[in-house]
Amino acid sequence: MEKSFFQTLAKDTQFLLRNPGLLITTSIAVILLLFFIVFPIGAVLVKSFTVTFPFVTVSSLNNVSNKADSETMVTQKILASLKSIQGVTLLEATTEEKRSVIIVTFQKNWDDLKCLNDVKRALDRNKGDLSQVVEKISITLGRKTVNSLDTYIDFFSKKYYNRALRNSLTLAVTSTIIIVFISFIFAYLSLNGPPLVSAPLRIVGLLPLVAPPFIFSLSLILIGGKQGVITKAIHSQYHIYGWPGVILAQIITFLPLGYLMIENVLRSLDPNLDEAASDMGASPLDILFRITIPLAAPGILKAALLVFICSIADFGNPMLIGGGISFLSTDAYLLWTSENNLEMAAVFCMFLVIPSMIVFVVHEYILKGKMYTTIGGKPQQAEKRKISSKIFYPMLGFATPVSLLIVVCFGMIFLGAFTKILMINNTFTLEHFETPNGIRSLLSSLKFALGAAAIAPIIGVTLSYILVRKRIPLKKVIESIALLGFAVPGTVMGVGYILFFNNPPLKLTGTFIIMILNEAFRNLSVGLEAGVSKLHQLDVAIEEAAIDMGASTFQTFTRIVLPLISSALIAGFIYTFMVGMIAVSAVIFLISPGNYLASIYILNVAEEGFLGMACAISTMLIGVVLVCLGALKMLSRYTKIAVFARGY
Amino acid sequence: MTMGGDSPILELRNIIKSFGSLVAVNHVSFSLDRGRLVTFLGPSGCGKTTLLRVVSGFAEPDEGEVILDGQNVTRKPPNARDTAMVFQNYALFPHMTVAQNIGFGMKIRKKSREEIDSEVKRLLALVKMEGLGERRPHELSGGQQQRVALARALSLHPKILLLDEPLSNLDANLRINMREEIRRLQRRLGLTIIFVTHDQEEAMSISDLLVVMDQGVVKQIGSPTGIYEKPADEFVANFIGHINFFSGEIVSFSGEEMNLQIAQGGLRVKRPSFPVSPNDKVKLVVRPESIHLVDAGKEEGRVENMIEGRIEVAMYIGSIIRYTIRCGEQIIYVDRSDPEHAGIFQEGSRVGLILKKEIHMFKI
Repeated sequence: MEKSFFQTLAKDTQFLLRNPGLLITTSIAVILLLFFIVFPIGAVLVKSFTVTFPFVTVSSLNNVSNKADSETMVTQKILASLKSIQGVTLLEATTEEKRSVIIVTFQKNWDDLKCLNDVKRALDRNKGDLSQVVEKISITLGRKTVNSLDTYIDFFSKKYYNRALRNSLTLAVTSTIIIVFISFIFAYLSLNGPPLVSAPLRIVGLLPLVAPPFIFSLSLILIGGKQGVITKAIHSQYHIYGWPGVILAQIITFLPLGYLMIENVLRSLDPNLDEAASDMGASPLDILFRITIPLAAPGILKAALLVFICSIADFGNPMLIGGGISFLSTDAYLLWTSENNLEMAAVFCMFLVIPSMIVFVVHEYILKGKMYTTIGGKPQQAEKRKISSKIFYPMLGFATPVSLLIVVCFGMIFLGAFTKILMINNTFTLEHFETPNGIRSLLSSLKFALGAAAIAPIIGVTLSYILVRKRIPLKKVIESIALLGFAVPGTVMGVGYILFFNNPPLKLTGTFIIMILNEAFRNLSVGLEAGVSKLHQLDVAIEEAAIDMGASTFQTFTRIVLPLISSALIAGFIYTFMVGMIAVSAVIFLISPGNYLASIYILNVAEEGFLGMACAISTMLIGVVLVCLGALKMLSRYTKIAVFARGY
Repeated sequence: MTMGGDSPILELRNIIKSFGSLVAVNHVSFSLDRGRLVTFLGPSGCGKTTLLRVVSGFAEPDEGEVILDGQNVTRKPPNARDTAMVFQNYALFPHMTVAQNIGFGMKIRKKSREEIDSEVKRLLALVKMEGLGERRPHELSGGQQQRVALARALSLHPKILLLDEPLSNLDANLRINMREEIRRLQRRLGLTIIFVTHDQEEAMSISDLLVVMDQGVVKQIGSPTGIYEKPADEFVANFIGHINFFSGEIVSFSGEEMNLQIAQGGLRVKRPSFPVSPNDKVKLVVRPESIHLVDAGKEEGRVENMIEGRIEVAMYIGSIIRYTIRCGEQIIYVDRSDPEHAGIFQEGSRVGLILKKEIHMFKI
């Protein structure tokens, strides 16, 4: 008989309470997830539904004999003097016998200090009038927070807010469609094309992985910006800033993601199905459109959804090459830095979260298990067949320019790093590398990435063990929360951390540790998912044998399970490290003086026009990532641990 | 198109196919008459599947020609050949229903919808799958998937139906049912079928013609009985059924018969069909069921072609009893049918093994 949800919940809870070790571990995990994922996101949600009104309270001690005098001689005079202040929405006055209290409420989100100064200045102007009757006057600043839909109403009624949503969606949809199309071509050719084509495509398709996500914006600017190589060469007024730039940069940036996923899907298709179709008289084009694409469709859709999430959450590219077009992720940052309008920033975040959440739900619950797998028996080893020229040449026609662009982009970074000013003064120089701040930021990046990479996989893998092997209530909810950190755009996590960790006793903003924790909890999912899939392959009997020999649960986990699933830990470590080295979107909110990261430093110097220096630091960053990966590869050869299990 | 009744439907001329240094198919020539069921039989890696893929067009031979119904199709792709394949894992399209799977080939050929529908219906009935057309492949049992694969292959009325180990994913009982059904269908529709298997019992029971292969080479082509009774060499003899070998030397001739000396004594047997002379060494091939067993104590006097042995193991398998008998240095297997009726020799008892006069042999 099917047990009801509540019965299962009750049973699982009872079980949990009888196992103190499990209870403690689970509680710690849940508390961490709540504090570092749920509450910050919750804080954004709450903030988006509030409005803050600054108000200034003026209270005076009056040197008069009665209340009526107080009213006419002081209160009214003060009110009159305050009337002309800009942004005042409400003046409330109460008068007692010897006291006047006036509360000046300003428009929502009005700058606090300006309010205070304006009030002071206004009172100063009438000082002469008041000084005879007023003994003492005090002015205090306050903020009134009320729950309100006002920020949302503002968002929808003001074009300069809601166009960011339209732009972000347009960008994400456009980029996703193009990226999936090109990824499919790359994947198809690298699997079916002649070796002369497939081998280079595989390398080029993965190349962008080692670079900071916005580096292609940088090289596109070097090529087609206002001072760009091509712009100069053809004396064109046209430049690449804006839509073409962002879309092009995103295509290159997110191509590896789409390529890796779609290649995986195509590779897993049973080659006998192609052969069966061919045997039934289907031409290569028939097979492509009637067999390969329909079969790969669920996998392609999955890839598309992930690319969509990444594209809409992208921060660096729109920032650098967006040419001032509003996008949700970048404008949320600008709203915070230049207007201190965290309410509107929170609303922007909500509109970043909603599409990502929809995609996440579709991905996790609707598409899961929808993949077509081989039915019955092992597929026959098929001889690789020659790709039809009707497919090969059109595909090559698309793949070639994209590949060339990727290679050229990388080349531009190196050229930019080693020349004085590319195309204007092409003399070789190392001066761009003489940047103490840049090098300091590289070291910070290393510390930051290593820190996050040390934390994330441990929590992720431990969580995967609890979720797969142990009986705990609300498993699905806990798993979803852990994956949330990955699914929610970095901008949202950044704003969330500012909001949640800005007040005592959790006042952690401005510290290095909060940056690391942010990055770690955003990347739990890799260790978690690698652990889950590894544990599913591992026979429970091995653990039962350990327990049978007298080992405790903890000993079984540390001595048996951990060594066996170490590849999941390492996969999580590598992934988190690489992502950490090139992180921008969430940490940019948490950065503090002295804790500059290389990726953000590059972004800043590039924005200020020091492209050569940006290129130089990028080159060093890529170098550091490659050296670290090489070291890990050596380590894996030395220890025989499969470090590159996940295709890295 | 030639529709000559007598010309072979398929001719393989000197086919060679290698993968790197491995020669998978080595100088194979073979012709097949229409309406016959031929089996490519051999251990795994013998080249039988590769040969089938040469016929279907999935593998292009390095040398040689494939002649299908009088046409040279060696360089034609699979989709331009009148052959249809049933894959070992069935290769049903998981994103299509059963009916869509069966109708796929006709759809590719742009047949009308009504035509496809009625043909699919007919084929479903043919493989006893009426009413299951809207199911998806993963909702079917292994046997049902097999039937769908068969129906799909038949949908284009191929000149030759190619079955690549089609029964290997089914359990034992179903395997026997399906092979009988394939045989019935083949007879009823007059299909020409090439059947690939490594299971000699399956091959024996289903085929008109067997092609026994080993290491890319055809070892013997013949009818199941012919191959069973007269294997061309030791490999074939060993591969088909259980077998006993005796090494012997020819001593003398007397008319149609000759005297042989084997380790266990002298034999007097019929002369073989190939020329022999005294002192030739030969290998005798004796099936376990063709040896007669007698109680050694009871037989008085000299019985011709009898050797003596001691029963080591008597294994009761129901319809037969299999004795493992030590005769000097050698172990001989003897099957006795109807053990209930014939009585059972106890393990350890001494027996006489009487060989027939007609013994298949080859020179060594």
